[in-house]
Amino acid sequence: MFKIEILMKKGYKNSHGEHILSDICGIGIKNITKVEYSPLYVIDGDISSVETETIAAELLSDKITETYTVNSCSQTNCGQSLPSKPAINNSMNCIVEVWYKKGVTDTVSGSVVKAVKDLGISKKIEVKTGHKYYLHGKISQTILNKIVIKLLANTLIQEYKIK
Amino acid sequence: MKKVKVLILRTAGTNCDYETQAAFELCGGFVERIHINALIEKKDKIFEYDILACPGGFSYGDDIASGKILSNEVKNKLGDKVKKFALSGKPIIGICNGFQVFVKMGLLPDPNIFEQISTLSYNDSDKFECRWVYLKTEKRINGESNCIWTKKLPDIVSLPVAHGEGKFIPNDKKLLDALNKNNQIVFRYTSKDGGKPEYPLNPNGSVEQIAAVSNIKGNVFGLMPHPERYVFTLQHPAREGFDSEYGWGKVIFQNAVDFVK
Repeated sequence: MFKIEILMKKGYKNSHGEHILSDICGIGIKNITKVEYSPLYVIDGDISSVETETIAAELLSDKITETYTVNSCSQTNCGQSLPSKPAINNSMNCIVEVWYKKGVTDTVSGSVVKAVKDLGISKKIEVKTGHKYYLHGKISQTILNKIVIKLLANTLIQEYKIK
Repeated sequence: MKKVKVLILRTAGTNCDYETQAAFELCGGFVERIHINALIEKKDKIFEYDILACPGGFSYGDDIASGKILSNEVKNKLGDKVKKFALSGKPIIGICNGFQVFVKMGLLPDPNIFEQISTLSYNDSDKFECRWVYLKTEKRINGESNCIWTKKLPDIVSLPVAHGEGKFIPNDKKLLDALNKNNQIVFRYTSKDGGKPEYPLNPNGSVEQIAAVSNIKGNVFGLMPHPERYVFTLQHPAREGFDSEYGWGKVIFQNAVDFVK
């Protein structure tokens, strides 16, 4: 199982992160100074690290504006099994990951599976997609929960974890 | 008179294929809308056509990134055929999502290289921008455009845009300089009087306000605005056009049909 994170290269605008920051200000929270957004993908199946690198480079990232990281992972640290309560966080920066709850249809994953076949990789795989937010600024756990529940996650269908 | 055959490539999520067909037919083209799976089954069928169009829409739901999955599919399954078609000098147009497909598969701006060297990234606003914009037609070859699709257009035209990922970004300064030097920048977003546009007149923050590019030869053309949505004056909010009946978008399709004839 591999976890892929797509990151904007330095010098390019993280439009979605800036949009989230604007929304955070819009609900009256002023302590956050910067937000960066990264799409996440978990690929499970009989697939090698080389093939995963190919998928990340050729399909999931944009060659001009984005880069990526690929990490081998297990069920517990790939966002497949999230703790029911977030960890207490009082640091200056925090990271929020948002994933679909088990049983919720992940429509993008179906498109990724199709596109991986188009790349010539015919092995059977399963894909999950998620979202990662880097929040810069000093905020309390209560405020952080407000941001996540109001702006980052639809808790009816998504679960989240805070690092 | 030669019968000008147009192939409009469609797939799941394509939604501007009928309007594009109507625009070509208005200009005398004989159009077939063909699903990519059908073309993959008979790859050489592409050479039965004179013009290739990749229309707008949300191919594969814009999943991963706009046009990414279709560009991957076309490149891996039809790449050599599409490249051959482009290098033969036949007209090719990619409109909005079609432009994103061509840029991400590397057909634009240079089908000879056929590698992605530029991109269409997320709008600076991070929003879907849907409005009429002004475009400056670049005319550096004896006062005329280098692109076969954009001859006989006025200095400034108006067309509608509708996209979330239209910010054109070249790989580096060297490429940007080459695009300028080779007259490959076809349209730039502009203000009504031809000045530098601020948002929302530049709807996405494109580098040097680039809205459309072509290959050096001028036969492969990609643009974010939708010319097929402005073939009649009635489609313009102020009912403007180049005569009482037709809009400037029609000229773009007519140019290609006339070029083949």
